[in-house]
Amino acid sequence: MDVDDPLDFEIEDSLLINPVVPKKRKKLIGLDELLSEHYKEQSKLIEKEAKKQTKAQKSYDSDEDKNCKEAKLSSLLDDCQEQMRAVGSQEEISEWDLCVFGQQKTTPPLSFPELGSWSILQSFMNNELNSLVGLVTKQDCSFLEGLLINGWLLKLIFKCGCLEKSIATWTFLLMLYSSKEELRSSACEFWCAILSSKIQDGVPPVEIDWYPSYSELKGALEIYGFLFNFSSNIPDKNSSVFKGPPQNIITWIKFTAVFCQVSCKQLFLLTSDRQELAEVIICLFLDRRLQGLSVLMRSCMQSVISSFTEEEWINSYSEIAKSLASRVPMDLNCLRAVQCISGVETRSKHLKSAVAFQILVNCFDNKVTDEEGILNLLISINVKEKDCDFFKMYLYLVLTENWLRYDQMLRDKPVVHEIWGLFLRNCSCQISSTDLRSHASKVRNKAAFLLQGVGNN
Amino acid sequence: MEKRKISNNCSNARGRINRGGMEANILAILDSAESHKDSQDAKDDRIDFLEAVRTASFVPENGTPPTEKMVEAVFQILREGKSLELIMSSYELLNEIEKSFPRVYISESSGNGSRDLIVINEAWSPLMVSLDVMSSEREATQKNFCGLFDPNGFHELVQGLAELANETISKGLDTKSLGNMLLFQYLVNVLEGDFVPRINVYKESMKWSFLKECLLNMLLGSRRINYKVLMKDCLSTICGLCQDYAGIDESGCSETSMEKSSENHNNDVTIALLEVQKTTCMAMQKLLIMIMELDISKKQADMKGQTTRADGVRTPLVEIILDELTYDRDILSPFLQVFNDPKWKLELIVQYFLKYTAKPSVRTRRSNSHSEDSTFVGVLKSFSNSSSTKNIIKKIDVEVVQLLLAHAFQAYLSMSSQQHLPGLSNCKEAEIDSSLMEISKNVIAAFNSLRGADNMSNQALGSCGVANISMSILLHLIS
Repeated sequence: MDVDDPLDFEIEDSLLINPVVPKKRKKLIGLDELLSEHYKEQSKLIEKEAKKQTKAQKSYDSDEDKNCKEAKLSSLLDDCQEQMRAVGSQEEISEWDLCVFGQQKTTPPLSFPELGSWSILQSFMNNELNSLVGLVTKQDCSFLEGLLINGWLLKLIFKCGCLEKSIATWTFLLMLYSSKEELRSSACEFWCAILSSKIQDGVPPVEIDWYPSYSELKGALEIYGFLFNFSSNIPDKNSSVFKGPPQNIITWIKFTAVFCQVSCKQLFLLTSDRQELAEVIICLFLDRRLQGLSVLMRSCMQSVISSFTEEEWINSYSEIAKSLASRVPMDLNCLRAVQCISGVETRSKHLKSAVAFQILVNCFDNKVTDEEGILNLLISINVKEKDCDFFKMYLYLVLTENWLRYDQMLRDKPVVHEIWGLFLRNCSCQISSTDLRSHASKVRNKAAFLLQGVGNN
Repeated sequence: MEKRKISNNCSNARGRINRGGMEANILAILDSAESHKDSQDAKDDRIDFLEAVRTASFVPENGTPPTEKMVEAVFQILREGKSLELIMSSYELLNEIEKSFPRVYISESSGNGSRDLIVINEAWSPLMVSLDVMSSEREATQKNFCGLFDPNGFHELVQGLAELANETISKGLDTKSLGNMLLFQYLVNVLEGDFVPRINVYKESMKWSFLKECLLNMLLGSRRINYKVLMKDCLSTICGLCQDYAGIDESGCSETSMEKSSENHNNDVTIALLEVQKTTCMAMQKLLIMIMELDISKKQADMKGQTTRADGVRTPLVEIILDELTYDRDILSPFLQVFNDPKWKLELIVQYFLKYTAKPSVRTRRSNSHSEDSTFVGVLKSFSNSSSTKNIIKKIDVEVVQLLLAHAFQAYLSMSSQQHLPGLSNCKEAEIDSSLMEISKNVIAAFNSLRGADNMSNQALGSCGVANISMSILLHLIS
């Protein structure tokens, strides 16, 4: 026997490998297999019977009869298929993914005639040294682009200690809108180095004539196609319009991180701007197409969060959470929104807990807004009821866990601790392991796992 | 002295039981994932597992390090690289664990004021290396079990990256190769976390034994890899990758390229790739610099008689790089473009020139005595008269000379702004400025004499021309 051939018992499992409805997911406790086996068995029976009958009535059968039976059989199979699909669709919500980027807009022009007026260039023209290199007055951007890419521009600016408006805007626009990777990453390094000189010790700070404002950062996002109110219309992902953001988003994220760092000393950004930025970055985490940038997004998130003063932060984090909760759809995406806040310092924990809580409040249509109220609602859910929505239960479970775990004060309240334990016991003990309803086992396993942790503490 | 810590935070029995319970509980999440390996549920379970490890290790105020088994399971998830989401979260988690619970660190406070190096030998490490040659067979048999990296595996990984970097752009870059790049970055992080505290202690105490046992030294000293080939692969990776991402801009984010990538259903990989290639280059540079630092320390130890025959002999990496750069002109420019550590860049360029200008006898015993010849100033002086300049450009192409001079000057400028000029430690700003002006004048003079020697006209203003102009402007600014 060939090694690659399936073993005996694997052949039997061919149903596992080729389920009837192709895109469907397999459940832990093979609900689908059971069903498909059941239906297949049924249809086999019907076929057998049909065959028997055809054999027995071979001579008497008219074509009409045959057709009639075939039609019956096919309609029966169709029904089965339909039912399977219905079961399947309940579990279709398998991954978090939001299109937070829609159609891109046209980028602003990147030509800069006024660059020639850069004072260093001007003064150099009149210098005797120019005879050595023969720089002529009518230099276009490409010459300066060369300076930028090779890093000389930065050296020049550091040496003269001043960044003039023309160079500042030109490099800023290149960074955000150029389609050439080399240019935009050099421009980004340029800006980051100059901004960092403001907060680094031992480096003489560069005097900057022009600073970008928040509206410029926001404007860039709009041009990339960022949907500031995506919750209202979630676009069809397959549509060609939603190509996702351009690669310039990378430099946007890098720049924003440094800009926020400097901002805590220089105050370029209002508190409300930074609140919105924090929210935007969490939204970026929801787009699967950007998940490869999570390292960058995380450090940007960190620098936004740490740019608040202590007073600003106390007022801000619940604002961020509330606004975010009203935008995020109540599916796996809301869990992702909580989980992406993964910093280990106190502020991240605050925010994480607050976001989880606000989403939870939103789940119950803002009916209750106090902690015990929410918890009481949770334990009032009867998992034995026939139409209990286990997917929602799963969301509640994860949200509540994050909300309580990341809020030290709350977790230590005896009442909260008690109700939480009760809720977990409800989920883990009252759902039987043979409950085949969708997501039931998931809720049960999760609750059992969490209960273990509660016991340990 | 080096201390070895046997037990970690959970010293009391109750703590250990809880920890064991937690470990079993968390690892159990993965059990069901084993039974149906590629399904969505398996992926979900793995994500849940990573989240659970993260929560267990970082949420408590003074977090307990995850157990060996847990870290290893996280590492396996990164190695398998089933999906971008799993790769990214496992990679980030591993780095955080590395940062929060280092294997090697310098103890902050000590009674007598000396600083101790603390090594936690029991801590899990993705690299399986040892000084003991005999243990290699044992390693080989274990390899299949735990899937850790032995020196051979490390070389294979780098080889894979080199192949990847030097294919054409149209290659089907997939999640797997992205995962390998991140895996490499993680391994470099591990090497760094082990190396940095050790070399700091070495520099204070001048005891080779601290560095002798560092992972990097053991890795490079392993007889199971060809050290030179490994270094060449590293070089070809760093040069290939940098050309690669510089090349992407041609199509940029134009309509066609975006559409193409979405046709491949690989958009998440495409956009990540750009960034990951860059960070891989940086990681490679970090690795090369660590090796060069190690080389220097080893040479010092050699001269003090602290090394034994067992330490083996390695060609210094600087020499290998110089050989490669002279042998393969095509990689010279990308290498200089991507390698941006000013100190080592200047060193490499000066050595490059010395290969052609210095007498062999001077070169071999150069080591510590910083003679005039072996500095940037010395190099510039050799361009001061036309006959010696002509001599040099007989041996090195004039374009290459310009490129090298421009990069060296830029590196010198960076160092002067960081106030790390060789031979000018702790000097005042005025002194730096004056030395900078001196250098700038010399550079201009060198370019002039190059032009004279080569009969170059003004029309030859390539990328070096830009540098030429910039230097002139700089000089103008300084004076």
